[in-house]
Amino acid sequence: MLNIDRGRLKPFFERVPELFQLHHHGDSEDAAGYERLLYRVHRPFSGEMLDTIDDWMGCEPHQHRGEELFRLRLFLLAIRYPDTLLLESLDDVLVSDIRRLSGYLHFTKHTYSIWDDDSRRGLARLGFDIPPTSVADPFIYGAYCASIELLKELAPFYSFLEHDVPRQRLFQAALAAYGRES
Amino acid sequence: MSSSEVVQEYAPNFQAWIDEFQEWQTRIGFDPSWLGDYRFEIKFDWDTAGETIEFGDFKGMPKWQRRMQIPQQSIRDAIISMISVQGDTEFASVEQQHHLLESAPTEYDRKSALRIMCEEQRHGWQMAYLLCTHFGEHGVREAMKLLERNSAGNPYRSEGEGARLLGSFNEPIDNWLDFFCFTHFIDRDGKYQLKMLSTSSFKPLAASMGPMLKEESFHLGTGANGLRRIVKAGVIPCSVLQRYINKWVSTGLDLFGVDESSSAQWAYVYGVKGRFDERETEEPADREHLNEASRMLYYQELADEMRRMNKARREGEPEIVMPSDRFNREIGKWSDQRFILDGQEFEGDDDAWDAYLASVLPSAEDVAKLPGYFAQNWIQYREWKE
Repeated sequence: MLNIDRGRLKPFFERVPELFQLHHHGDSEDAAGYERLLYRVHRPFSGEMLDTIDDWMGCEPHQHRGEELFRLRLFLLAIRYPDTLLLESLDDVLVSDIRRLSGYLHFTKHTYSIWDDDSRRGLARLGFDIPPTSVADPFIYGAYCASIELLKELAPFYSFLEHDVPRQRLFQAALAAYGRES
Repeated sequence: MSSSEVVQEYAPNFQAWIDEFQEWQTRIGFDPSWLGDYRFEIKFDWDTAGETIEFGDFKGMPKWQRRMQIPQQSIRDAIISMISVQGDTEFASVEQQHHLLESAPTEYDRKSALRIMCEEQRHGWQMAYLLCTHFGEHGVREAMKLLERNSAGNPYRSEGEGARLLGSFNEPIDNWLDFFCFTHFIDRDGKYQLKMLSTSSFKPLAASMGPMLKEESFHLGTGANGLRRIVKAGVIPCSVLQRYINKWVSTGLDLFGVDESSSAQWAYVYGVKGRFDERETEEPADREHLNEASRMLYYQELADEMRRMNKARREGEPEIVMPSDRFNREIGKWSDQRFILDGQEFEGDDDAWDAYLASVLPSAEDVAKLPGYFAQNWIQYREWKE
Protein backbone atom coordinates (compact mmCIF):
# COMPACT_ATOMS: atom_id res chain seq x y z
CA MET A 1 0.00 0.00 0.00
CA LEU A 2 2.92 2.31 0.62
CA ASN A 3 3.76 2.01 -3.09
CA ILE A 4 0.48 3.55 -4.12
CA ASP A 5 0.69 5.94 -7.07
CA ARG A 6 -0.46 9.16 -5.47
CA GLY A 7 -1.02 10.81 -8.84
CA ARG A 8 -3.86 8.36 -9.50
CA LEU A 9 -5.64 9.41 -6.34
CA LYS A 10 -5.89 13.12 -7.13
CA PRO A 11 -8.75 13.01 -9.68
CA PHE A 12 -10.72 10.83 -7.29
CA PHE A 13 -10.10 13.07 -4.28
CA GLU A 14 -11.26 16.10 -6.23
CA ARG A 15 -14.57 14.38 -6.92
CA VAL A 16 -15.31 12.75 -3.54
CA PRO A 17 -18.18 15.10 -2.55
CA GLU A 18 -19.86 14.74 -5.96
CA LEU A 19 -19.33 10.95 -6.10
CA PHE A 20 -20.61 10.53 -2.55
CA GLN A 21 -23.73 12.49 -3.44
CA LEU A 22 -24.28 10.34 -6.51
CA HIS A 23 -24.13 7.07 -4.62
CA HIS A 24 -25.28 7.74 -1.06
CA HIS A 25 -28.10 10.08 -2.02
CA GLY A 26 -28.95 8.11 -5.16
CA ASP A 27 -32.24 6.25 -5.60
CA SER A 28 -30.82 2.86 -4.66
CA GLU A 29 -29.34 3.76 -1.30
CA ASP A 30 -32.03 5.22 1.02
CA ALA A 31 -29.89 7.87 2.73
CA ALA A 32 -32.60 8.63 5.30
CA GLY A 33 -32.75 4.95 6.26
CA TYR A 34 -28.97 4.95 6.61
CA GLU A 35 -29.13 7.91 8.99
CA ARG A 36 -31.81 6.21 11.07
CA LEU A 37 -29.60 3.14 11.48
CA LEU A 38 -26.72 5.28 12.74
CA TYR A 39 -28.88 6.05 15.76
CA ARG A 40 -30.96 2.93 16.19
CA VAL A 41 -28.25 0.30 16.21
CA HIS A 42 -26.59 0.11 19.60
CA ARG A 43 -25.44 -2.40 22.17
CA PRO A 44 -26.35 -5.17 22.85
CA PHE A 45 -27.07 -5.46 19.10
CA SER A 46 -30.31 -7.42 19.28
CA GLY A 47 -31.54 -9.71 16.53
CA GLU A 48 -34.13 -7.06 15.61
CA MET A 49 -31.38 -4.50 15.08
CA LEU A 50 -29.59 -6.91 12.77
CA ASP A 51 -32.90 -7.34 10.91
CA THR A 52 -33.06 -3.60 10.28
CA ILE A 53 -29.51 -3.67 8.92
CA ASP A 54 -30.38 -6.58 6.62
CA ASP A 55 -33.38 -4.65 5.44
CA TRP A 56 -31.36 -1.53 4.59
CA MET A 57 -28.65 -3.60 2.94
CA GLY A 58 -31.27 -5.35 0.80
CA CYS A 59 -30.28 -8.77 2.18
CA GLU A 60 -32.69 -11.60 2.86
CA PRO A 61 -33.54 -11.69 6.60
CA HIS A 62 -30.82 -13.53 8.47
CA GLN A 63 -31.59 -17.00 9.73
CA HIS A 64 -29.24 -16.91 12.69
CA ARG A 65 -30.97 -18.20 15.78
CA GLY A 66 -30.03 -19.46 19.25
CA GLU A 67 -26.37 -20.24 19.77
CA GLU A 68 -25.39 -18.95 16.33
CA LEU A 69 -27.02 -15.56 16.89
CA PHE A 70 -25.43 -15.40 20.35
CA ARG A 71 -21.97 -16.02 18.90
CA LEU A 72 -22.51 -13.38 16.22
CA ARG A 73 -23.54 -10.81 18.81
CA LEU A 74 -20.55 -11.69 20.99
CA PHE A 75 -18.33 -11.27 17.95
CA LEU A 76 -19.77 -7.82 17.25
CA LEU A 77 -19.24 -6.80 20.86
CA ALA A 78 -15.67 -8.13 20.96
CA ILE A 79 -14.17 -7.01 17.68
CA ARG A 80 -12.14 -3.79 17.68
CA TYR A 81 -11.37 -1.77 14.57
CA PRO A 82 -9.20 -2.33 12.52
CA ASP A 83 -8.91 -6.00 13.51
CA THR A 84 -10.47 -8.42 11.04
CA LEU A 85 -8.73 -11.60 12.17
CA LEU A 86 -11.51 -12.21 14.66
CA LEU A 87 -13.62 -13.21 11.64
CA GLU A 88 -11.76 -16.52 11.83
CA SER A 89 -13.57 -17.29 15.06
CA LEU A 90 -16.91 -17.43 13.21
CA ASP A 91 -18.23 -20.58 11.58
CA ASP A 92 -18.77 -21.05 7.84
CA VAL A 93 -22.42 -20.02 7.94
CA LEU A 94 -21.69 -16.68 9.58
CA VAL A 95 -18.87 -15.76 7.22
CA SER A 96 -20.68 -16.95 4.11
CA ASP A 97 -21.90 -13.46 3.14
CA ILE A 98 -19.33 -10.67 3.32
CA ARG A 99 -21.85 -7.97 2.38
CA ARG A 100 -24.19 -8.85 5.20
CA LEU A 101 -21.42 -9.19 7.78
CA SER A 102 -19.75 -5.94 6.68
CA GLY A 103 -23.12 -4.20 7.12
CA TYR A 104 -23.35 -5.50 10.67
CA LEU A 105 -19.79 -4.34 11.36
CA HIS A 106 -20.36 -0.93 9.82
CA PHE A 107 -23.53 -0.09 11.71
CA THR A 108 -22.38 -1.49 15.03
CA LYS A 109 -18.98 0.24 14.92
CA HIS A 110 -19.22 3.08 12.35
CA THR A 111 -15.62 2.30 11.39
CA TYR A 112 -15.58 -0.88 9.30
CA SER A 113 -16.59 -0.29 5.70
CA ILE A 114 -19.57 -1.84 3.93
CA TRP A 115 -18.39 -4.37 1.35
CA ASP A 116 -19.54 -3.31 -2.08
CA ASP A 117 -18.25 -4.77 -5.32
CA ASP A 118 -18.48 -1.36 -7.00
CA SER A 119 -16.35 0.13 -4.21
CA ARG A 120 -13.86 -2.69 -4.75
CA ARG A 121 -13.74 -1.77 -8.44
CA GLY A 122 -13.26 1.87 -7.45
CA LEU A 123 -10.30 0.86 -5.32
CA ALA A 124 -8.88 -1.08 -8.28
CA ARG A 125 -9.02 2.10 -10.39
CA LEU A 126 -6.86 3.76 -7.75
CA GLY A 127 -4.35 0.90 -7.71
CA PHE A 128 -5.64 -1.09 -4.74
CA ASP A 129 -6.27 -4.58 -6.07
CA ILE A 130 -8.66 -6.34 -3.73
CA PRO A 131 -9.79 -9.76 -5.01
CA PRO A 132 -13.51 -10.39 -5.48
CA THR A 133 -15.11 -12.61 -2.87
CA SER A 134 -18.49 -13.47 -1.47
CA VAL A 135 -17.26 -14.85 1.87
CA ALA A 136 -15.86 -12.77 4.71
CA ASP A 137 -12.19 -13.63 4.35
CA PRO A 138 -10.36 -11.75 7.11
CA PHE A 139 -7.39 -10.86 4.91
CA ILE A 140 -9.39 -9.69 1.91
CA TYR A 141 -11.85 -7.72 4.00
CA GLY A 142 -8.96 -6.41 6.11
CA ALA A 143 -7.18 -5.15 2.99
CA TYR A 144 -10.42 -3.55 1.77
CA CYS A 145 -10.94 -1.67 5.05
CA ALA A 146 -7.26 -0.70 5.30
CA SER A 147 -7.31 0.72 1.75
CA ILE A 148 -10.29 2.91 2.55
CA GLU A 149 -8.64 3.94 5.82
CA LEU A 150 -5.51 4.96 3.90
CA LEU A 151 -7.56 7.02 1.44
CA LYS A 152 -9.18 8.76 4.38
CA GLU A 153 -5.77 9.69 5.73
CA LEU A 154 -4.32 10.86 2.41
CA ALA A 155 -7.34 12.82 1.24
CA PRO A 156 -7.02 16.62 1.24
CA PHE A 157 -9.49 18.77 3.10
CA TYR A 158 -11.62 19.52 0.05
CA SER A 159 -12.64 15.87 -0.15
CA PHE A 160 -14.69 16.25 3.00
CA LEU A 161 -15.46 19.82 3.95
CA GLU A 162 -18.84 18.74 5.21
CA HIS A 163 -20.72 15.47 5.34
CA ASP A 164 -23.19 13.78 7.66
CA VAL A 165 -21.92 10.20 7.64
CA PRO A 166 -18.88 8.48 9.15
CA ARG A 167 -15.82 9.06 6.96
CA GLN A 168 -15.56 5.37 6.07
CA ARG A 169 -19.01 5.62 4.52
CA LEU A 170 -18.12 8.85 2.73
CA PHE A 171 -15.19 7.20 0.96
CA GLN A 172 -16.80 3.80 0.43
CA ALA A 173 -19.84 5.43 -1.19
CA ALA A 174 -17.68 7.70 -3.36
CA LEU A 175 -15.63 4.65 -4.39
CA ALA A 176 -18.80 2.80 -5.38
CA ALA A 177 -19.79 5.59 -7.78
CA TYR A 178 -16.20 5.78 -9.04
CA GLY A 179 -16.10 2.01 -9.56
CA ARG A 180 -19.31 2.04 -11.58
CA GLU A 181 -17.73 4.47 -14.03
CA SER A 182 -15.08 1.89 -14.98
CA MET B 1 -3.23 14.90 -3.18
CA SER B 2 -2.26 15.34 0.41
CA SER B 3 1.08 14.62 2.04
CA SER B 4 0.97 15.74 5.63
CA GLU B 5 4.04 16.62 7.62
CA VAL B 6 3.99 16.27 11.38
CA VAL B 7 6.68 18.43 12.99
CA GLN B 8 8.83 16.36 15.33
CA GLU B 9 11.06 18.94 17.04
CA TYR B 10 10.22 22.37 18.36
CA ALA B 11 12.34 25.48 18.73
CA PRO B 12 13.04 26.60 22.34
CA ASN B 13 10.65 29.56 22.20
CA PHE B 14 7.75 27.32 21.21
CA GLN B 15 8.78 24.82 23.89
CA ALA B 16 8.57 27.68 26.39
CA TRP B 17 5.12 28.55 25.05
CA ILE B 18 4.01 24.93 25.65
CA ASP B 19 4.90 25.30 29.34
CA GLU B 20 2.63 28.33 29.49
CA PHE B 21 -0.08 26.45 27.62
CA GLN B 22 -0.16 23.76 30.30
CA GLU B 23 -0.61 26.45 32.91
CA TRP B 24 -3.42 27.97 30.78
CA GLN B 25 -5.31 24.65 30.72
CA THR B 26 -5.38 24.50 34.50
CA ARG B 27 -6.23 28.18 34.87
CA ILE B 28 -9.26 28.04 32.59
CA GLY B 29 -10.59 24.86 34.20
CA PHE B 30 -9.70 22.27 31.56
CA ASP B 31 -8.34 19.15 33.23
CA PRO B 32 -5.40 17.88 31.10
CA SER B 33 -6.26 14.30 32.12
CA TRP B 34 -9.40 14.60 29.94
CA LEU B 35 -7.10 14.45 26.92
CA GLY B 36 -6.34 10.77 27.55
CA ASP B 37 -3.80 9.62 24.96
CA TYR B 38 -4.48 12.58 22.63
CA ARG B 39 -1.24 14.29 21.61
CA PHE B 40 -1.07 17.79 20.16
CA GLU B 41 0.77 17.78 16.86
CA ILE B 42 1.83 20.46 14.42
CA LYS B 43 0.64 19.35 10.97
CA PHE B 44 1.18 20.80 7.51
CA ASP B 45 -0.33 19.81 4.19
CA TRP B 46 2.14 21.35 1.75
CA ASP B 47 0.49 19.94 -1.38
CA THR B 48 -2.76 21.83 -0.99
CA ALA B 49 -0.95 25.04 0.03
CA GLY B 50 0.06 25.87 -3.56
CA GLU B 51 3.40 27.05 -4.91
CA THR B 52 2.56 30.50 -6.27
CA ILE B 53 0.52 33.38 -4.89
CA GLU B 54 -3.01 32.90 -6.16
CA PHE B 55 -4.58 36.38 -6.07
CA GLY B 56 -3.86 39.98 -5.23
CA ASP B 57 -1.04 42.23 -6.33
CA PHE B 58 1.66 39.57 -5.89
CA LYS B 59 -0.19 36.96 -7.94
CA GLY B 60 2.11 34.55 -9.76
CA MET B 61 5.09 35.06 -7.46
CA PRO B 62 6.33 32.18 -5.28
CA LYS B 63 4.49 31.89 -1.97
CA TRP B 64 6.46 33.20 1.00
CA GLN B 65 7.90 30.48 3.22
CA ARG B 66 9.79 32.66 5.69
CA ARG B 67 9.31 36.05 7.26
CA MET B 68 12.24 37.61 5.43
CA GLN B 69 10.67 36.75 2.08
CA ILE B 70 7.61 38.85 2.89
CA PRO B 71 8.24 42.12 1.07
CA GLN B 72 6.65 44.67 3.44
CA GLN B 73 6.30 45.10 7.19
CA SER B 74 2.61 45.92 6.70
CA ILE B 75 2.10 42.47 5.16
CA ARG B 76 3.94 40.80 8.03
CA ASP B 77 1.70 42.68 10.46
CA ALA B 78 -1.41 41.61 8.56
CA ILE B 79 -0.32 37.95 8.68
CA ILE B 80 0.45 38.15 12.40
CA SER B 81 -2.96 39.69 12.97
CA MET B 82 -4.76 36.96 10.99
CA ILE B 83 -2.93 34.18 12.84
CA SER B 84 -3.51 35.82 16.22
CA VAL B 85 -7.25 36.23 15.67
CA GLN B 86 -7.57 32.65 14.44
CA GLY B 87 -5.62 31.31 17.43
CA ASP B 88 -7.67 33.44 19.81
CA THR B 89 -10.92 31.83 18.66
CA GLU B 90 -9.51 28.31 19.04
CA PHE B 91 -8.67 28.69 22.73
CA ALA B 92 -11.77 30.77 23.42
CA SER B 93 -14.15 28.01 22.36
CA VAL B 94 -12.54 25.60 24.83
CA GLU B 95 -12.96 28.17 27.59
CA GLN B 96 -16.62 28.55 26.68
CA GLN B 97 -17.46 24.85 26.43
CA HIS B 98 -15.43 22.72 28.82
CA HIS B 99 -17.86 23.09 31.74
CA LEU B 100 -20.52 21.26 29.69
CA LEU B 101 -18.68 17.94 29.73
CA GLU B 102 -20.18 16.91 33.05
CA SER B 103 -23.75 17.38 31.82
CA ALA B 104 -23.56 15.72 28.40
CA PRO B 105 -26.82 14.12 27.27
CA THR B 106 -25.07 10.95 26.09
CA GLU B 107 -21.59 9.46 26.16
CA TYR B 108 -21.47 10.04 22.41
CA ASP B 109 -22.02 13.75 22.90
CA ARG B 110 -19.52 13.98 25.75
CA LYS B 111 -16.81 12.32 23.68
CA SER B 112 -17.67 14.34 20.60
CA ALA B 113 -17.42 17.58 22.58
CA LEU B 114 -14.15 16.45 24.11
CA ARG B 115 -12.76 15.61 20.68
CA ILE B 116 -13.78 19.05 19.46
CA MET B 117 -12.05 20.70 22.42
CA CYS B 118 -8.88 18.66 21.86
CA GLU B 119 -8.80 19.61 18.20
CA GLU B 120 -9.53 23.28 18.87
CA GLN B 121 -6.57 23.32 21.25
CA ARG B 122 -4.45 21.69 18.56
CA HIS B 123 -5.51 24.42 16.15
CA GLY B 124 -4.45 26.98 18.75
CA TRP B 125 -1.11 25.19 19.04
CA GLN B 126 -0.69 25.36 15.29
CA MET B 127 -1.28 29.11 15.25
CA ALA B 128 1.05 29.66 18.22
CA TYR B 129 3.69 27.55 16.47
CA LEU B 130 3.52 29.78 13.39
CA LEU B 131 3.82 32.90 15.52
CA CYS B 132 6.74 31.58 17.58
CA THR B 133 8.60 30.01 14.64
CA HIS B 134 8.23 32.68 11.98
CA PHE B 135 7.74 36.07 13.57
CA GLY B 136 10.48 36.57 16.15
CA GLU B 137 9.86 38.46 19.36
CA HIS B 138 6.68 40.01 18.03
CA GLY B 139 5.27 36.58 17.23
CA VAL B 140 6.29 35.11 20.59
CA ARG B 141 4.54 37.98 22.37
CA GLU B 142 1.37 37.49 20.34
CA ALA B 143 1.47 33.74 21.01
CA MET B 144 1.68 34.41 24.74
CA LYS B 145 -1.30 36.76 24.52
CA LEU B 146 -3.36 33.86 23.19
CA LEU B 147 -2.98 32.32 26.64
CA GLU B 148 -3.48 35.51 28.61
CA ARG B 149 -6.96 36.39 27.39
CA ASN B 150 -9.93 34.42 28.72
CA SER B 151 -13.39 34.24 27.22
CA ALA B 152 -16.02 36.27 29.03
CA GLY B 153 -18.16 33.18 28.49
CA ASN B 154 -15.92 31.02 30.69
CA PRO B 155 -17.45 30.35 34.11
CA TYR B 156 -13.85 29.88 35.38
CA ARG B 157 -12.67 33.42 34.81
CA SER B 158 -10.97 35.81 37.16
CA GLU B 159 -11.77 39.48 37.34
CA GLY B 160 -9.39 41.59 35.34
CA GLU B 161 -8.60 38.98 32.71
CA GLY B 162 -8.82 40.36 29.19
CA ALA B 163 -11.71 39.12 27.06
CA ARG B 164 -11.33 37.26 23.77
CA LEU B 165 -11.12 39.31 20.59
CA LEU B 166 -14.44 38.49 18.87
CA GLY B 167 -17.99 38.81 20.16
CA SER B 168 -19.21 35.24 19.63
CA PHE B 169 -16.26 33.93 21.58
CA ASN B 170 -17.22 35.88 24.67
CA GLU B 171 -20.82 34.64 24.69
CA PRO B 172 -21.64 32.18 27.46
CA ILE B 173 -22.46 28.67 26.27
CA ASP B 174 -24.64 27.82 29.21
CA ASN B 175 -26.17 24.58 28.05
CA TRP B 176 -26.10 21.88 25.40
CA LEU B 177 -28.62 23.65 23.19
CA ASP B 178 -26.20 26.56 22.99
CA PHE B 179 -23.37 24.10 22.34
CA PHE B 180 -25.06 22.61 19.28
CA CYS B 181 -25.97 26.09 18.03
CA PHE B 182 -22.39 27.22 18.54
CA THR B 183 -20.86 24.27 16.69
CA HIS B 184 -23.42 24.59 13.90
CA PHE B 185 -23.26 28.36 13.39
CA ILE B 186 -19.91 29.50 14.76
CA ASP B 187 -17.74 26.54 13.81
CA ARG B 188 -19.27 26.86 10.35
CA ASP B 189 -17.95 30.40 10.29
CA GLY B 190 -14.63 28.83 11.32
CA LYS B 191 -14.76 26.65 8.24
CA TYR B 192 -15.10 29.80 6.14
CA GLN B 193 -12.21 31.57 7.84
CA LEU B 194 -9.93 28.52 7.52
CA LYS B 195 -10.78 28.01 3.86
CA MET B 196 -10.16 31.69 3.13
CA LEU B 197 -6.70 31.29 4.69
CA SER B 198 -6.02 28.02 2.84
CA THR B 199 -4.99 29.98 -0.26
CA SER B 200 -2.76 32.38 1.68
CA SER B 201 0.42 33.80 0.19
CA PHE B 202 2.21 32.86 3.42
CA LYS B 203 2.77 29.19 2.72
CA PRO B 204 3.09 27.87 6.31
CA LEU B 205 -0.29 29.45 7.06
CA ALA B 206 -1.91 27.99 3.93
CA ALA B 207 -0.37 24.57 4.66
CA SER B 208 -1.74 24.66 8.22
CA MET B 209 -5.30 24.93 6.98
CA GLY B 210 -5.69 21.52 5.29
CA PRO B 211 -5.34 19.43 8.46
CA MET B 212 -7.37 21.98 10.43
CA LEU B 213 -10.21 21.91 7.90
CA LYS B 214 -10.28 18.10 7.98
CA GLU B 215 -10.82 18.30 11.73
CA GLU B 216 -13.24 21.21 11.55
CA SER B 217 -15.65 19.22 9.40
CA PHE B 218 -16.36 16.98 12.39
CA HIS B 219 -17.09 20.02 14.54
CA LEU B 220 -19.76 21.48 12.30
CA GLY B 221 -21.15 18.04 11.61
CA THR B 222 -21.63 17.65 15.36
CA GLY B 223 -23.60 20.89 15.41
CA ALA B 224 -25.73 20.18 12.35
CA ASN B 225 -26.51 16.61 13.39
CA GLY B 226 -27.09 17.71 16.98
CA LEU B 227 -29.72 20.26 16.01
CA ARG B 228 -31.46 17.75 13.74
CA ARG B 229 -31.42 15.18 16.56
CA ILE B 230 -33.07 17.76 18.84
CA VAL B 231 -35.75 18.52 16.27
CA LYS B 232 -36.39 14.80 15.70
CA ALA B 233 -36.75 14.11 19.43
CA GLY B 234 -39.48 16.77 19.55
CA VAL B 235 -39.13 17.54 23.27
CA ILE B 236 -37.79 21.07 22.93
CA PRO B 237 -40.46 23.03 21.06
CA CYS B 238 -39.36 24.47 17.72
CA SER B 239 -40.45 27.89 19.00
CA VAL B 240 -37.76 27.70 21.70
CA LEU B 241 -35.19 26.39 19.26
CA GLN B 242 -36.10 29.25 16.91
CA ARG B 243 -35.19 31.81 19.57
CA TYR B 244 -31.77 30.20 20.09
CA ILE B 245 -31.22 30.16 16.34
CA ASN B 246 -32.16 33.85 16.17
CA LYS B 247 -29.50 34.54 18.78
CA TRP B 248 -26.67 32.63 17.10
CA VAL B 249 -27.27 33.50 13.43
CA SER B 250 -26.76 37.21 13.99
CA THR B 251 -23.57 36.73 15.96
CA GLY B 252 -22.30 34.30 13.31
CA LEU B 253 -22.93 36.88 10.59
CA ASP B 254 -21.08 39.52 12.61
CA LEU B 255 -17.96 37.34 12.62
CA PHE B 256 -17.34 38.13 8.96
CA GLY B 257 -16.47 41.68 9.90
CA VAL B 258 -17.48 45.10 8.67
CA ASP B 259 -18.85 45.86 5.22
CA GLU B 260 -16.56 47.59 2.73
CA SER B 261 -13.68 46.46 4.91
CA SER B 262 -10.34 48.03 4.06
CA SER B 263 -8.42 45.43 6.07
CA ALA B 264 -10.11 42.61 4.10
CA GLN B 265 -9.22 44.48 0.93
CA TRP B 266 -5.57 44.86 1.98
CA ALA B 267 -5.44 41.18 2.99
CA TYR B 268 -6.64 40.36 -0.51
CA VAL B 269 -4.18 42.74 -2.15
CA TYR B 270 -1.37 41.06 -0.18
CA GLY B 271 -2.70 37.61 -1.10
CA VAL B 272 -2.90 36.79 2.61
CA LYS B 273 -6.59 35.91 2.76
CA GLY B 274 -8.77 34.99 -0.20
CA ARG B 275 -12.43 34.47 -0.84
CA PHE B 276 -14.18 31.34 0.43
CA ASP B 277 -14.47 30.06 -3.13
CA GLU B 278 -11.20 31.55 -4.37
CA ARG B 279 -10.07 28.43 -6.22
CA GLU B 280 -13.50 27.48 -7.51
CA THR B 281 -14.87 30.76 -8.84
CA GLU B 282 -13.97 32.38 -12.12
CA GLU B 283 -15.58 35.67 -11.16
CA PRO B 284 -13.20 38.57 -10.51
CA ALA B 285 -13.09 39.61 -6.86
CA ASP B 286 -15.11 42.63 -5.79
CA ARG B 287 -12.38 43.86 -3.50
CA GLU B 288 -14.53 46.45 -1.78
CA HIS B 289 -17.12 43.90 -0.69
CA LEU B 290 -15.12 40.82 0.26
CA ASN B 291 -16.66 40.34 3.70
CA GLU B 292 -20.16 40.80 2.31
CA ALA B 293 -19.57 38.13 -0.36
CA SER B 294 -18.35 35.55 2.15
CA ARG B 295 -21.14 36.43 4.55
CA MET B 296 -23.77 35.84 1.87
CA LEU B 297 -22.32 32.43 0.96
CA TYR B 298 -22.41 31.53 4.65
CA TYR B 299 -25.97 32.78 4.94
CA GLN B 300 -27.06 30.69 1.95
CA GLU B 301 -25.40 27.64 3.46
CA LEU B 302 -27.26 28.20 6.73
CA ALA B 303 -30.53 28.48 4.81
CA ASP B 304 -29.85 25.12 3.11
CA GLU B 305 -29.11 23.52 6.47
CA MET B 306 -32.31 25.01 7.86
CA ARG B 307 -34.31 23.25 5.14
CA ARG B 308 -32.76 19.92 6.18
CA MET B 309 -33.53 20.63 9.81
CA ASN B 310 -37.15 21.39 9.00
CA LYS B 311 -37.59 18.02 7.33
CA ALA B 312 -36.97 16.40 10.72
CA ARG B 313 -39.80 18.32 12.41
CA ARG B 314 -42.63 16.48 14.10
CA GLU B 315 -46.15 17.06 12.90
CA GLY B 316 -47.68 20.25 14.26
CA GLU B 317 -44.36 21.91 15.05
CA PRO B 318 -43.92 25.32 13.40
CA GLU B 319 -41.38 25.72 10.62
CA ILE B 320 -38.00 26.97 11.77
CA VAL B 321 -37.07 30.02 9.73
CA MET B 322 -33.83 31.85 9.05
CA PRO B 323 -33.78 35.29 10.62
CA SER B 324 -32.98 38.05 8.14
CA ASP B 325 -29.33 39.00 7.83
CA ARG B 326 -30.37 42.46 9.05
CA PHE B 327 -31.75 41.27 12.37
CA ASN B 328 -29.87 42.10 15.59
CA ARG B 329 -26.57 42.88 13.94
CA GLU B 330 -23.77 44.59 15.81
CA ILE B 331 -21.26 44.75 12.96
CA GLY B 332 -21.73 45.90 9.38
CA LYS B 333 -24.14 48.21 7.63
CA TRP B 334 -27.20 46.91 9.49
CA SER B 335 -25.75 47.51 12.94
CA ASP B 336 -27.30 50.19 15.10
CA GLN B 337 -30.53 49.81 13.14
CA ARG B 338 -33.69 47.97 14.09
CA PHE B 339 -35.10 45.23 11.90
CA ILE B 340 -37.49 42.44 12.72
CA LEU B 341 -36.88 38.80 11.89
CA ASP B 342 -38.20 39.03 8.35
CA GLY B 343 -35.94 42.00 7.56
CA GLN B 344 -38.62 44.70 7.74
CA GLU B 345 -37.75 47.86 9.58
CA PHE B 346 -39.01 47.92 13.16
CA GLU B 347 -41.55 50.58 13.99
CA GLY B 348 -41.85 51.60 17.62
CA ASP B 349 -40.03 53.17 20.54
CA ASP B 350 -37.19 51.81 22.68
CA ASP B 351 -39.51 49.99 25.07
CA ALA B 352 -41.33 48.33 22.21
CA TRP B 353 -38.00 47.28 20.69
CA ASP B 354 -36.84 45.76 23.99
CA ALA B 355 -40.12 43.90 24.25
CA TYR B 356 -39.76 42.66 20.70
CA LEU B 357 -36.22 41.41 21.29
CA ALA B 358 -37.35 39.64 24.46
CA SER B 359 -39.99 37.82 22.42
CA VAL B 360 -37.66 36.57 19.68
CA LEU B 361 -34.45 35.85 21.62
CA PRO B 362 -34.06 33.24 24.38
CA SER B 363 -36.00 34.45 27.39
CA ALA B 364 -35.58 33.86 31.11
CA GLU B 365 -38.65 31.65 30.80
CA ASP B 366 -36.94 29.54 28.10
CA VAL B 367 -33.85 29.19 30.25
CA ALA B 368 -35.96 28.17 33.24
CA LYS B 369 -37.68 25.46 31.20
CA LEU B 370 -34.50 23.94 29.79
CA PRO B 371 -33.70 21.70 32.80
CA GLY B 372 -37.17 20.20 32.46
CA TYR B 373 -36.56 19.42 28.80
CA PHE B 374 -33.09 18.08 29.52
CA ALA B 375 -34.55 15.65 32.08
CA GLN B 376 -36.45 13.99 29.21
CA ASN B 377 -35.17 12.27 26.07
CA TRP B 378 -34.66 15.66 24.46
CA ILE B 379 -32.13 14.55 21.88
CA GLN B 380 -32.15 11.50 19.67
CA TYR B 381 -29.93 8.88 21.31
CA ARG B 382 -26.69 7.97 19.63
CA GLU B 383 -24.21 5.44 20.95
CA TRP B 384 -20.49 6.13 21.06
CA LYS B 385 -18.86 3.49 18.88
CA GLU B 386 -15.38 2.11 19.58
